[in-house]
Amino acid sequence: MSDEILEGASLTLEQFCAVAALERAWLVERIEAGLIPAEGTSAASWRFSGATLARVRRMREIERAYDAAPELAALVADMLEEMDRLRARLRRFD
Amino acid sequence: MEFKDYYRTLGVGREASADEVKRAYRKLARKFHPDVSKEPDAAERMKEVNEAYAVLSDPEKRAAYDRLGSGPPPGQDFRPPPGWDKGFEFTERGFAPEEAAGFSDFFSEIFGRMGRGQGFTRAHAGEHHARILLDLEDSFTGPTRQISLQTPKVDDKGHLTLETRTLNVKIPRGIRAGQMIRLAGQGAAVRGERNPGDLLLEVDFRPHPRLQPEGRDLHMTVPVAPWEAALGAVLPIDLPGGGELSVRIPAGAEPGRRLRVRGKGLPSNPPGDLYLDVRIVAPPADTPLAKELYEALRAEAGFDPRKEWREMR
Repeated sequence: MSDEILEGASLTLEQFCAVAALERAWLVERIEAGLIPAEGTSAASWRFSGATLARVRRMREIERAYDAAPELAALVADMLEEMDRLRARLRRFD
Repeated sequence: MEFKDYYRTLGVGREASADEVKRAYRKLARKFHPDVSKEPDAAERMKEVNEAYAVLSDPEKRAAYDRLGSGPPPGQDFRPPPGWDKGFEFTERGFAPEEAAGFSDFFSEIFGRMGRGQGFTRAHAGEHHARILLDLEDSFTGPTRQISLQTPKVDDKGHLTLETRTLNVKIPRGIRAGQMIRLAGQGAAVRGERNPGDLLLEVDFRPHPRLQPEGRDLHMTVPVAPWEAALGAVLPIDLPGGGELSVRIPAGAEPGRRLRVRGKGLPSNPPGDLYLDVRIVAPPADTPLAKELYEALRAEAGFDPRKEWREMR
């Protein structure tokens, strides 16, 4: 079996949608609003990393559970990511 | 099949309005949010709450569910009465198919009838993904790991079911958390498509008792005695990839001093670094001799631990 490590941002828009079970329009709207990071300048050249998957999942859950505006869901995702970083640092001092 | 009491899961009565159902769900979604919840079984509870909400928030599903009644007496198996779902065509809204596929057997039996050829199969044409939890050591040894995958699958009758597959995966050396391993041709088989897509495995590490990964670097806290920090010492350190390394703690090392061992982090290309955080551990004064030595230190050292502290105002 050929195993390959995907480095950094390497998934295309179509691959990312398939992997995250997302609708393309939902994702494009949020990328264009700057709420989800994508490397590249146009939809054809956008590339996504594995880390973005977690962010997208969180945003989708928050939007669904609370009928939240995408900007609010992105803000919550920002805070959860910051919390992840701080927790990781905290573990080093425990 | 075990009957699921969705009203009980959400803590609402059978007559609850759509608004009450939503409010109950939001309250529980906050309580069991896996990122913030302190409940030990938060993730499992969140799944149950999501499943209950997927049914009770959808007027069609809720009507069909209500038609099933309140289930059999406790302990008895549940079988839906024949023809109970006549006239219902369920569509999945809001929940991702892979998420819905993780719901209970009860859910997939009752509500798993996806409209055939609809979004589900299309969204899954191509790539599929799963998460894999590895030990940090795996990044050094590159072992072969067996993983069980549950793949959502739509059968001939249009039921959404979970199919369990076992795969042997060769873990590439130098793998890091957040990276993905691509297994060509191992994605979910899709009806109507000749070639299955790729399977993407999202990698994360189990917490390690000593080492904390940060990208390709590793951090480790090393306890040292006050005299080792003060006078300097050479300490043997077990390397995560096997082997031992002698690390010199410089004389006068302060608590929190960070030492870098170049190239001894995860073996990616280029390899990461190993960081050692010095933690000074004071010996207990639990014997007459230890007390005596502390007394001598107090008398002779002229050490004022609160000199700077007094100036902080």
